[in-house]
Amino acid sequence: MDMFRYAAWLCRDKSIAEDVVQEALLRAWKSLDALRDDAAAKPWLLTIVRRENARYFERRRLETVDIDNLTASQSALLAEAPNEELTDLREAIYRLDDDYREPLVLQVLMGYSTSEIAELMGLKQGAVLTRLHRARLKLKDEAAQEELS
Amino acid sequence: MSQQEDTLNCDDYKTAVSADPGFNDETGHADSCASCEQYKNEIVAMNEKLALAMALEVPPLTMPELPVIDSQKVSSLVARRKLSKVTWFALAATVVMGVFIGLRVNEMAATAGTLGEQVLAHVDHEPQSLKVTDTPVAASRLARTVPVEVATMNHDAGLITYAQSCEINGKMVPHLVIQGERGPITILLMPDEKLVESQSLDGVNVRGVLLPVGDGSIAIIGDREEQLDRVQQNVVNSVNWNT
Repeated sequence: MDMFRYAAWLCRDKSIAEDVVQEALLRAWKSLDALRDDAAAKPWLLTIVRRENARYFERRRLETVDIDNLTASQSALLAEAPNEELTDLREAIYRLDDDYREPLVLQVLMGYSTSEIAELMGLKQGAVLTRLHRARLKLKDEAAQEELS
Repeated sequence: MSQQEDTLNCDDYKTAVSADPGFNDETGHADSCASCEQYKNEIVAMNEKLALAMALEVPPLTMPELPVIDSQKVSSLVARRKLSKVTWFALAATVVMGVFIGLRVNEMAATAGTLGEQVLAHVDHEPQSLKVTDTPVAASRLARTVPVEVATMNHDAGLITYAQSCEINGKMVPHLVIQGERGPITILLMPDEKLVESQSLDGVNVRGVLLPVGDGSIAIIGDREEQLDRVQQNVVNSVNWNT
């Protein structure tokens, strides 16, 4: 479930996320030998999902997504929230830049520490902290604007 | 305690908390600053909502066909570790297959039945949409739910208090709610569901109609006592397909 949710928030499309997870599982199976420590299985799998997602978009050279012009599969990601407030929040997360959305998902959904996120994303911890700070500020601003409207 | 922690000010504190709501404030800054304490509470509350928002429904996932692994290579692994990984994958496969079977059963149940039955079932599945309120849905939300590529609407339909994209018959369609004289009225705009003639819908406490409109159809469902004839006319007049 974590693999799928992480993939879905990375690529913002449920159908593509399913393909990415399948490819990632296949790749993980083939390279099982590379897993040296059982305790590291989860970050190892997430790293494979991350690479597979990048490969997918390299292959297809997809353009950035306009939230007002989504495919059914992209809309499905946003349509299942149990109430309007969470739908708005999903849309706000959806609109975040990839650089902000990914560390936020890793922290909030996966429970990763900032140092673990830094390692997974190949960043300095300070850069991760900055991105997380900016991501939350953007979400707070959007929530305030939504209340005003 | 480091010098930086000694000199933590409000800006530093807020930056640290918004980067990590679990930030360990060893200086106790928030204990003596009401503004920062409130800020932290807001961030923690937002984080809880974020976790809920990010917990997407997981669809049925099929396991890929796994290739055979060369047992000669694997035999060099430590026995305990090999067994553990295989077990781990078996468990993962079991969970994925379980989710797949469970969701497939749900999906089959959801997709079974006529369009009318699906429409009535969908109204039952979104009771939160049926609020009696005079607060209109935000214009931006309405614009996202009913994109101009699908349809344009004028204000003849009535006060729209709910707008959400929902799946009916395998397609995402605008689900709107307007306020009628006897309570909320559900409207589903289905530009791809062509009908030959109108169909009556008869639910437990609701009734409605599926109306052919151009190359699509519109479902209107309300309270049994609601005078739907006038509502139908207003809704049909207010919608223009653009597909």
